[in-house]
Amino acid sequence: MRFRAKIVDLACLNHFSRIINTIAKLAKTCILRLTVCKLYFILSDKVANGGASMWCELSQGNFFDEFQMEGVAAEHNEIYLELVPENLSRALKTAQNAKAVKIKLTNKHCPCLSVAVELPSLSSSSRIVTHDIPVGVIPRRMWNDFREPSVPDFDVSIYLPALKTMKSVVDRMKNLSNFIVIEANLSGEMNLKIETDLVSITTHFKDLGNPPWASEDDCQSNTQARDLESMAEACIDIKKLQQLLAGQQVNPTKALCNIVRKRIVHFILLHEEVSLQYFIPAIA
Amino acid sequence: MKCVIGAAQLRVFGRAIHAIARISDEFWFDPVEKGLALRSVNSSRSAYACVFFSSMFFQHYCWTAVSQPCHKEQQLSLPCKLIIKSVLPVFRCVNVLERNVERCSISTNPSEHHITFQLLCRHGLVKTYNLTFQECDPLQAVFAKHMCPNILKVHSRLLADVMIHFPTSQEEITLSVTPVKVCFKSYTEEDTDFSRTMLTEIQLSPEEFDYFQVGVDSEVTFCLKELRGLLAFSEAASVPVSIHFDRCGKPIAFSIEDLLLEASFILATLCEAEKEAASPEPACCPQPWHSSRTGMDNPDQTSMDGASNADTATSKKPQQKGNAPSMNSAKEEVKNIPRGPERDVPGRAGAAMAEAAAGEATEAPYEKFHSLFFGAVSYKKEAIGDTFQSLVTASDTEEEFGALQSSQVL
Repeated sequence: MRFRAKIVDLACLNHFSRIINTIAKLAKTCILRLTVCKLYFILSDKVANGGASMWCELSQGNFFDEFQMEGVAAEHNEIYLELVPENLSRALKTAQNAKAVKIKLTNKHCPCLSVAVELPSLSSSSRIVTHDIPVGVIPRRMWNDFREPSVPDFDVSIYLPALKTMKSVVDRMKNLSNFIVIEANLSGEMNLKIETDLVSITTHFKDLGNPPWASEDDCQSNTQARDLESMAEACIDIKKLQQLLAGQQVNPTKALCNIVRKRIVHFILLHEEVSLQYFIPAIA
Repeated sequence: MKCVIGAAQLRVFGRAIHAIARISDEFWFDPVEKGLALRSVNSSRSAYACVFFSSMFFQHYCWTAVSQPCHKEQQLSLPCKLIIKSVLPVFRCVNVLERNVERCSISTNPSEHHITFQLLCRHGLVKTYNLTFQECDPLQAVFAKHMCPNILKVHSRLLADVMIHFPTSQEEITLSVTPVKVCFKSYTEEDTDFSRTMLTEIQLSPEEFDYFQVGVDSEVTFCLKELRGLLAFSEAASVPVSIHFDRCGKPIAFSIEDLLLEASFILATLCEAEKEAASPEPACCPQPWHSSRTGMDNPDQTSMDGASNADTATSKKPQQKGNAPSMNSAKEEVKNIPRGPERDVPGRAGAAMAEAAAGEATEAPYEKFHSLFFGAVSYKKEAIGDTFQSLVTASDTEEEFGALQSSQVL
């Protein structure tokens, strides 16, 4: 099992750092899956995560100048590692003006991702900062736990409002309640609601637009028959929503959510070559 | 004693207080004829800081020897001890101080029982802090910087840039030098769970240093937290930092010096008898602290004499003034009444420590942090507990420092 990669371009490095920062806000520990073409950051929906799960996918070619990997075996040419994304985020934080960043899978005291940052210095030879991030290697028999989640059979799919606005609303609501209700309909309307003993607050968004899904399902094609005004709602943990919004440092190209009434809310954020899916289960 | 610090220098003074605050909860306030010395030592005696502001640093500095009958023992001029927590609020928000405060005056008055810090702020606002103090015995560390085989001198900016890569929670780091490379890395104890700890290592080339002399390959581990204060202070003062050290187990000194001030932070370094992997030398055995000079006069000293020793890898930029050691030799004397201190490093307090405490140090090997310096020579010329020999000659003066008594704090 080997892995070596190198980023030389500063813009790519900053973009990659931003993605890692977002992941770090969403998960304390997650799985990094490496294939020949892509990197995946996966959080599976275990109880420990509060049932939330995440799937983030990026094409390595958009970030790395060099990328070589050899999986566990020829017919399973992938590597699954468990790591703390906060460590990776910290390692990249001080690489703002690096000449190059090399990431390598090594085995020093234990399996590690070694991030070597080459920084410019006053002398002829560069300064090299190496961070050894401990990782756990996930054995092949457990790979099935980390398969891509399928898009749920949603009741409503709607584009999200400007994330900055949504974030400031949710931030204030978080002070008042632990749960938030998201509801939306197929007419481009979405409400964020909280309700406590003393107060209930609703923020209304209009004209958001509903993304067209190519429906092969019978269920999906029934949406035309459904009442466009009826709201599908789900009550979720407000902290999870807040973490998702807080991690977004750049406005995504596309941001939408799929709501399965009283079951789950599925967020999809697309930014150029990166897709991030986040599932927050509804509280019963 | 009375002195006035101008607005421009307040930031530096405030940072010095903050730096010293990282060492301990209390510090020694020691005005002498030539200037004001602030000193501190931590409870386990593994870190010592001394900042000396010459009288030129102040807008106005006036020190008079006042003789006072002292109802205690017949002691000479004594410094006093202040609690850091009382002084820190005076210099809180150092960066803001400059803008709001026109000057700060510090005065002691023999007839009063406190030290007064007075900030004259804008708009006619005057903040007065009267702080009580404790009389105490003088404190000074004994450390022969000029006998260190390894000397590095570098701008504080570079050190700050290096330390930023370590998390703020990082307690100790290891500095490893050979004639061709310098490396700072995070230190982990033997029982660390590596599967959970992120390790960081920074490699620098000797060319980045203004002065680089490595007489002996060494790897020293010291406490980063205590050092961070000095780094902030030296950035405020814009003075390069000199690092003097030896093999592991011997103290490492970080010092800055310019016309107006001098500061030294001396930290103990870890020495583990087993620790030898990287170094080609045999396992670093702790140097027994002899009561004679010979303990320090090891072969390393020869490498210190001038820069001519072929073994020494030295590089310095042409515009640097002469040999680093010489700038210190005028001031330092080796006082060799070492004394094993109580070592209070968690989980590592060895029996060896306790044995070696008090009196002449024996051959008992120290396994853990060495405490360095505390040569114990009192004014009565006896090796007693907490009294120490002066390094700074001014402190040897015979004048009495007014016996100040404590009073109410406003």
